[in-house]
Formats: sequence, C-alpha cells, structure tokens
Amino acid sequence: MKRRAENPLLSYQLLVFTRNRWKRQPLLYGAVAVSVGLAYLLLFQLVLLGEPSVIAVWTTILTAMCILAPLFAYNLFSLEYEKQTWEALALTRLSAWDILWGKWGAALARIGFTLLLFSPMLAASSPDTLRPYPLLAGALVVLGWSVLLVSAGMWLSFKLKRTLPAASTLYAGQVLLLMLLPLLYYNLLGGKAPSPQLPTNYIEGVWWWGQSLAQMRWIVDLNPFATLARLEEVTRINQEVPDEAQGLFYLNWGFVQGVLYILIALLFAGLTYRGLKLAWRK
Amino acid sequence: MLDVKGLRKEFGELVAVRDLYFQLYPGDVFGFIGPNGAGKTTTIKMLATLLEPTAGTAALNGIDIVRHPEEVRPLLGYMPDFFGLYEGITVTEYLEFFAAAYRIPKSQRAAVIENVLELTDLTVKRDAYVETLSRGMQQRLCLAKCLVHDPLLLLLDEPASGLDPRARIEIKELIRELGAMGKIVLVSSHILPELADFCNKIGIIEKGELLVWGAVDDIVRQLQANRVLEIKPLGEIEPLIRRLEREAHVLSIEPQNGSLYVHFSGGLEEQADLLTALVRDGYRIATFREEPLDLEDVFMQITKGEVS
Repeated sequence: MKRRAENPLLSYQLLVFTRNRWKRQPLLYGAVAVSVGLAYLLLFQLVLLGEPSVIAVWTTILTAMCILAPLFAYNLFSLEYEKQTWEALALTRLSAWDILWGKWGAALARIGFTLLLFSPMLAASSPDTLRPYPLLAGALVVLGWSVLLVSAGMWLSFKLKRTLPAASTLYAGQVLLLMLLPLLYYNLLGGKAPSPQLPTNYIEGVWWWGQSLAQMRWIVDLNPFATLARLEEVTRINQEVPDEAQGLFYLNWGFVQGVLYILIALLFAGLTYRGLKLAWRK
Repeated sequence: MLDVKGLRKEFGELVAVRDLYFQLYPGDVFGFIGPNGAGKTTTIKMLATLLEPTAGTAALNGIDIVRHPEEVRPLLGYMPDFFGLYEGITVTEYLEFFAAAYRIPKSQRAAVIENVLELTDLTVKRDAYVETLSRGMQQRLCLAKCLVHDPLLLLLDEPASGLDPRARIEIKELIRELGAMGKIVLVSSHILPELADFCNKIGIIEKGELLVWGAVDDIVRQLQANRVLEIKPLGEIEPLIRRLEREAHVLSIEPQNGSLYVHFSGGLEEQADLLTALVRDGYRIATFREEPLDLEDVFMQITKGEVS
C-alpha cells in the first residue's frame, strides 16, 4: 500500500508531465474547455427553461464524458513509444502494476475530477427527481462508461503504439456502439424489434437479461444513453412509478449496465497488465 | 563482471546475433564495433534485458539476465541510439522522476541528482526545460538518467551519433571518466576513431558474429603478423630497395616521401637482425620503426563489410 502511494509515475503523470500541456496543445485543450463550457451552458439553460431531471443531467455528463474520457487515455502508452521513452521506463524498478496504476490511476483521477466538476449541475437538477435509485444507477452508468473508455483507450494506446490510431479507434468505436449498431438494429428489424414485457420478479429479471443477449437486444439494452433514457421512467419522486416501469427494479436497470462496463474496463486493464509483463519483460 | 555466454538472437530465419562469448570486468570500456546491421543494437538490447535471446545468456555479477531480468535492471544503465525524453519538465524534475522510479530513498535523491548533474556537467541547466536543451546536452541528460541509480554496467548504443565535434569530445571524456570510476562500459559505434581513444577492449562484430574481442593492444599484436616497417635511409633509396629485396622476410616495398614502407613477415628477432645487417652493410639508417596498427587497420583486416 505504501509503495503504491509512492508511485512516482502516478504523481508525475497527473501533475508534472501535464503541467505545460496547455501551452503545447492549445487547440486540443481549447476544444476540451469549450466542450466542458458548452455542457455547463446546456444544463444551465435547461435549468432555466424548466426543471431538468437528474437523468437529463446524467445524460449531459455522459455526453461530455464520451468526448473527454478518451482524451485522458488515448496516448498513455503510445506517447512512450512515439517519444521512445518506454525502454527507460521499463528498465526502472517500477513493476508492471506500478506502471499500469501510474497511467491508469492518473486517467481515473481525471475522470473523478471531471465528474466532480459536473457535480454542481446535479445539485441544480430538479429536487423532486432526486430519487436514490435513478441517482445512483445513473452515476454508475456514467462512471462505468467513463472508466470503460479510459481502460479501452489505455489498452489501445499500448497495443497500437500510435496515438492517432488509438484515438480514432476509440472515437470510431463509440460511434459504432452508441449510434450505428442501434440504428442498424432498429433499421434491419423494422417493426419486428422484440420488446418483451418487463419482469415481475428477480428470477424473471435474470431470464430477461438472458433473452436480451440471445435476441441481440443488448445492442440497445447496454447502450448507456438508452439506459439513462429508460431510467427517466422511475425518476419523479412526487409521481407514482408507472406499473410498466416497476420491472426496471427487478432488472437492476442501470446497475447491471454500470457493473458490466466496469468489468469490461477491468478486462482491458488486465490485458494491458499482461502486455506489460510480456512485452516489457516486467 | 559481465559474462556473456553463447548469446544468440534469431528473427525468423535471420540470425541477427550468433553465439557471442565475452567477459568484461569493472573498469573495462568495451568498444563494440561493427557496420550498420551487424547486430550491435540487438546484442545491447539483449544485455539490457529488453529483448529475450533465442539461446544463450549473460550474467551480470552472477545474476542471469534471462531468468532474472528484474534483478539485473537495477545494475545496468542503458542509453539507446534513438532516445526520447519526457517533455514539459525541468532537468531536475526529470532526474527526480527516475531517482524515484529506481527507488532511491527520498532523503538521498537531492545528493544523487547533484552528483550526476556535476558529473555530466549539467548543473547550470538544472532548471531548464528538457526540450530546450541542445542535442548534446540531451545526450548528457540521458546519460545522467542512466547514472542516478549508480549502475555497474552501462550500455551505450552509439552515444555520440548526431553530436557536433565539441559534444563528441565531451561525451568521450565522460565515458573515459566512467570507466575510471570502475564501471563496465559497453559502447557501440560504427565510427572507429570515436572508440579508439578511450576503449581498453574491443569486439568486432559482423553479420551477427563476434569476429574478435579482447584488449586493444592484444588484438593489434595478433594482427601484426604482417608488420609494416618504416625505413628511412640517409642518401639514395634505390640501393637499399635492391638490398631489401634479397631479404626472405620482406614481402613488398613501397617508397614514399624518402621512406620505404616494408611489409615484413618476420618477428622482433628478424627485425633486429635486418637492422644489424643493414648497418653492417654500410647503410645509414635515420629511421627504423614498426608502423603501429590502429583500430581502423584492425577493422579493415578483420571485416568483410557484410551485414546479417
């Protein structure tokens, strides 16, 4: 535990190495700043126009994270290869875990910092939508997806060894998963897209998820935007949850997706760790 | 001690390095010479534990580099031919990072960094941003980084490439100093004059094969089976040429600027006999000396200019 706290890569990656980035990449970071600013403006506009639900806020944050999270990770290892610094790093006494944690931890810390930056917006959402279930499930979906993006980005930058292909693969992958696949799904199945009844107990919930995988419904059911949109049905505190939406509780809707994103993220981190052990002989 | 035992590396059907054997001791500055593509960098990367050998191994102070790379790494410093530096940080921050990464206790880091800055003559640049340094200074910073953990073995791959003459001289001085400090320095180059000045041992590699290795003087002596003698007579040289042509050990004679360069197959005894005979025959000899072989001559005699 003590060793992990003293990981120089984590502190340098987080603070020292990035200190001058603003000066060196003004366009990139300018674009990031504009995106964050727009997200803020969008939400505040919604607040002014009238009572955005907590889910609307989470959706805005998710949109921002889809853009920002890849920026925290797409060059974590590729820069080491491109600048030919990886050999020097590999020869130090830092273990594979130290290196992984130094890079991944820094990216995760940035995720945490960004989410903190958005937290005032959550507080500004309509108070009558602050039901614990959608608040926590929404948080897990956004956090899980962000962690997944960072982990996948880290692995891609390790595997591809080039920043541009890693970044473009990450963004293109999101477009494919979040937009093109759902569009294809609805387009190809047309009016015959299955929409089974929501379960009435947890056993049925497990069966429902199984069917989701078998019938390719996962393309929509695991989509973070679709997940958040559906959570809207259980949001209002001063309204009865409609009967047809009760089944979402039996599906652990939002929690299942969030946990799954994190598990896949851990898989990517594991692959990167294995790669470090093999390729860097750590 | 570095003991290289049958180190071999194959990339598919290509044998990049063929069963190398050599030993180096503290204080040795070993010049690893060979044309581009001869296998120098592959060998160095294997010794640096970054590349796994196909066969064979090496041991540094008895620690096997193949089986225990993590234990060997703290004992070695590696400067690649193409190296990069982290940007956006100062020279001191850069060295602090590597000192921490090599687990040097926090209380000792400042002193260690001060020492390596002094050794590499970078003290005045301690607060400069890394990317603002000249190529020569970056080279020295890279070397300083290799030294923060006080390694026993230094692997320097073409350390003087791309440097201006002054920076080359500075880096040569530094390498000489490191050898004097008791480190084993393995320095590769394909530019012979670079190495001739400060290596006490050399190895010549061609097509992945170590053709010869050992102390520079020993190798030169071995190769001096065909010595070249410079004989400068007072007076006319034609009679002397005719006289020398009768000698059994004289292979050929090249007159040049009033001197004769005689390719001689005999040893020291025969040289002494020849000089005695010439003086006895009445020739007045102003200069009689053996032409020293330099590294370039050695290299040219041994290699065929092939790459693997």
